[in-house]
Amino acid sequence: MSKTSEVLMKFVFMICACVSIAAVALICVFMFANGVPAMSEIGFTEFLLGDKWRPSSDLYGIFPMIIGSIYVTAGAIIIGVPIGLLCAVFLAYYCPSKLYSIVKPAVELLAGIPSIVYGFFGLMVIVPFIKDNIARGNFIHLGGSGKGVLTASILLGIMILPTIISTVEPNLRAVPKMYYEGSLALGATKERSVFCTIVPAAKSGVMAGVVLWIGRAIGETMAVIIVAGNQPVIPEKITSGVRTLTANIVLEMAYASDLHKDALIATAVVLFVFILIINTCFSLLKRSES
Amino acid sequence: MFKTKKIVALAASAALILSMAVGCNNANNTSSDDDTSSTVDLGEINVISREDGSGTRGAFVELMGIVDENDKDATTVTAEITNSTSVMMSTVAGNESAIGYVSLGSLYDDVKALKVDGVEATPENVKSGDYKVSRPFVICYVEDKLSDLAKDFISYIMSADGQQLLTDEKYISVADGEAYAAPETALSGEISISGSTSVGPVMEKLAAAYMEKNKDVKISIEQNGSGAGIKAATEGVSDIGMSSRELKDSEKEKLADTKIALDGVAVIVNKANTVENLTSEQIKNIFLGEVTEWADVQ
Repeated sequence: MSKTSEVLMKFVFMICACVSIAAVALICVFMFANGVPAMSEIGFTEFLLGDKWRPSSDLYGIFPMIIGSIYVTAGAIIIGVPIGLLCAVFLAYYCPSKLYSIVKPAVELLAGIPSIVYGFFGLMVIVPFIKDNIARGNFIHLGGSGKGVLTASILLGIMILPTIISTVEPNLRAVPKMYYEGSLALGATKERSVFCTIVPAAKSGVMAGVVLWIGRAIGETMAVIIVAGNQPVIPEKITSGVRTLTANIVLEMAYASDLHKDALIATAVVLFVFILIINTCFSLLKRSES
Repeated sequence: MFKTKKIVALAASAALILSMAVGCNNANNTSSDDDTSSTVDLGEINVISREDGSGTRGAFVELMGIVDENDKDATTVTAEITNSTSVMMSTVAGNESAIGYVSLGSLYDDVKALKVDGVEATPENVKSGDYKVSRPFVICYVEDKLSDLAKDFISYIMSADGQQLLTDEKYISVADGEAYAAPETALSGEISISGSTSVGPVMEKLAAAYMEKNKDVKISIEQNGSGAGIKAATEGVSDIGMSSRELKDSEKEKLADTKIALDGVAVIVNKANTVENLTSEQIKNIFLGEVTEWADVQ
């Protein structure tokens, strides 16, 4: 009896494992089957390096969107990572337990807010702020309407905070206590112990989390669409409007047909390859470290 | 455990109060802007447009002549793009230098609708033809394959009841039919409709009202864009297709079409903007990116 149930359960587990693999495989097949022919019809170089996206004139160049995605993701990392890292250090080593019971749930709450709510928050608060102070301010006037690379980066930076904090904090806590104590015993201050022994010791675990942060930033769509402006041109300034790869797909999917629709699926293929490259890079990085 | 909950509640309420304070600030800001609007320099025009393929964009571009030498959409690439009416309205409401366009049916008081060539954007002016920026709501079907049930539904849309419902939704009626009466022998069956997302919401209401009168009828509506709706009607996948633009001649060869209502497209600006009227030539040049400063059209 126990043996048959064991075999049966083994089978069930295997099927469960296969479901996720099958899902990935199916998505790949669907995307490549629809996207690659479209790419070759448009022309690989025209598609990847063309800087004009005008579906009504049959011009499909996604280079501005590739650049846009890179800019916005980089901006989000620049803004989010220092804040997230320091917040995690604070939570793990400095935070009094009373404050911890407020900050930790607040961070978790941040993760639970739907992205469309972030988007409207961005539109109502960050966009006017950027417009009045940086795009058309009295002292700084870079031009633009308040929607653009900077606004999207700030919003995304906030959105990836919970992901950063929740990957970094456990890694900091996992560093053996004796590193810290040993450092203190050698006469280092608390700050020096934390930043010179604990943080470097947690590095490899944190690096693995970077993929998650980038993945979250590059894949975020609904919030970015609302605050990025979505112009399909390469941004010239940090206040210029920008369209990301994901935004391009969502904006036009509803009405697209024929080659236009296939071009959007091809955009998804490019995004997919992007994420694949990032994942491979970091798993290589991890392997070389260990 | 209790403590954590309490603290979370406290934090949440603090956040709420904070956001309310921010809201108040915003309100104050806009009102002070209003006072000084006559002297405010609006600077660069921020053009806001809908996404490529949208029925509203298609109609606007065609009506205003925002096209290149090959008759293709030539909206300036520096125009901000949004795929939702609500984001369009909030953007224009929050940016003094913005100009955009929305369906007359979705227009609210947060923004100001401009006069085009001196004509105000009202349902009356659209109906009389004085306000030029309008588009038809069209249904299309294969004439000989249309079931009696679908025919009856169409007669309901064109009846006084159906047209009244369209008028209530701020669209402009096109027919002065008689009141609808359900046929004596009760109809039953299904009608499938697909197409424009602009026509969709009002079609849902028409269908609900019709099903109220004919209990055994089931109408399913799929909103997937004008192009898809016309295609589905041609291929017989759907009984009726909805479109928010006129059918092309190639499409008219296979399908019969009926105009069920008109929808105006309002050109909108921020309330702080002192411009009241633009000519169609000016609007065209703004959306082509040839005029970029408000000073040039004031």
